[in-house]
Amino acid sequence: MVDPLSRARAFHRLLYLAIAALILFLRLLPVNPAGHSFPGPDLMMAFTFAWLMRRPDYVPVLLIVTVYLVEDMVFWRPLGLWPLIMLLATEWLRAREESLRDLPFLLEIALIGGLWFVMVLARHLILALVFSDTVPLGMELLRLLATLAAYPLVVALSHTGLGLRRAAPGEVDDFGQRR
Amino acid sequence: MATNREDEDFTGPLRRILIAVLILLLTAVFLFWRIDSPRAERLRAKFIDRFVPTFDWAMVPVTKAIDMIASFQSYTRIYEQNQELRRELRRIESWEEAAVQLEQQNAKLRALNNLRLDPKLTSISGVVLTDSGSPFHQSVMLNIGGRDGIVDGWAAVDGLGLVGRISGVGDATSRVLLLTDSSSRIPVTIMPSGQRAIVSGDNSRFPPVEFLVNPELVRPGDRVISSGDGGVFPTGLPVGEVMETRDGRLRVRLKADYEQLDFVRVLRTHPKERLTDPGALIPPETGGEDG
Repeated sequence: MVDPLSRARAFHRLLYLAIAALILFLRLLPVNPAGHSFPGPDLMMAFTFAWLMRRPDYVPVLLIVTVYLVEDMVFWRPLGLWPLIMLLATEWLRAREESLRDLPFLLEIALIGGLWFVMVLARHLILALVFSDTVPLGMELLRLLATLAAYPLVVALSHTGLGLRRAAPGEVDDFGQRR
Repeated sequence: MATNREDEDFTGPLRRILIAVLILLLTAVFLFWRIDSPRAERLRAKFIDRFVPTFDWAMVPVTKAIDMIASFQSYTRIYEQNQELRRELRRIESWEEAAVQLEQQNAKLRALNNLRLDPKLTSISGVVLTDSGSPFHQSVMLNIGGRDGIVDGWAAVDGLGLVGRISGVGDATSRVLLLTDSSSRIPVTIMPSGQRAIVSGDNSRFPPVEFLVNPELVRPGDRVISSGDGGVFPTGLPVGEVMETRDGRLRVRLKADYEQLDFVRVLRTHPKERLTDPGALIPPETGGEDG
């Protein structure tokens, strides 16, 4: 029998994939090729971290890596680098999920903003190190700010619309495993 | 509790191995991309080839809906538009007369000159499938690719001017790197003064002109056309006109209508003949071999 907890988990994993597909789709629409002067928020990143901070078991590693590899492929970015950084960052957060569970929301935003900054910086440095084309860091930071601004909205949407709650005590253990 | 600990002991190391394998794998992918870029890009093109057209059926209605909203917005001022069009039509009627006369004159001069435009310059038209652009990358996908004979590096134009060049060809799709992309460099000639320069994209709408020898000879409003240096592009495709920004830098206002990029023509370019022979001595004719 499928118990409700693992059904909810499977449902949310599928939901994560569906959100990823939708965001990819919206970004691919041939609407206005030249109209991007101000970078919009990276919604996928906001979703990934919002979910990771709340229910790490809903966003397993393989899912994150797959989604970001596909994104790399489609958006002509360096292959593999950003998924690698995402993997390291999410694992870092996942290992601290237990201690971060009671973090106030403002601190959470600050923490995630700092983490993103480090990630962007790491990517920039690695790309510069291998003499690859880098995008201007200013643009990246603008985008980071936009993503941070969108983060509370994404959290609110996940909370009210998609039923994402922090795990109740006893529902999962430190490793995100079901008891 | 006992089962719980078992569970932990079992998944803990396994998970760690999975993470390690993933890290190694991703690093390998990144290094592969960096070291053997052409092959990685081919793989990417193949992937997109398979993946993006499946989005097509869903994209059409959404795009149409957005277009409809845009045209609804223009309906609100349809009366002014109508008046404007009438005025324009009247103006154009006089131009038409001039154009007919010029055409006749042109035909006459051509006949006199025995001029032939490059017969090899033919084109393939494609529809813009998706726009995988962002503030960081400016490119569009076309629905034509390797099976239509598209080759990397060919020029893409719309009705008005140069749009970009092909960069990445799949079997049924290809990608056009727009002139505004930060990795786009196009050799151009600035027309009345005939100066050579490079239009290098920087992700803004008006790419700057670089490597200009005598900037003082160039005025805002000068025509910019592709120069064909380097043998990648055909010569003489209209690119845009020069404009001067407030800080005194020269930029190009592109002719191509980037706001409405629906159809794009890809020009077949054939590699130019190259002179590789440094020029051998021409020996005197020996003659009399047979006699």
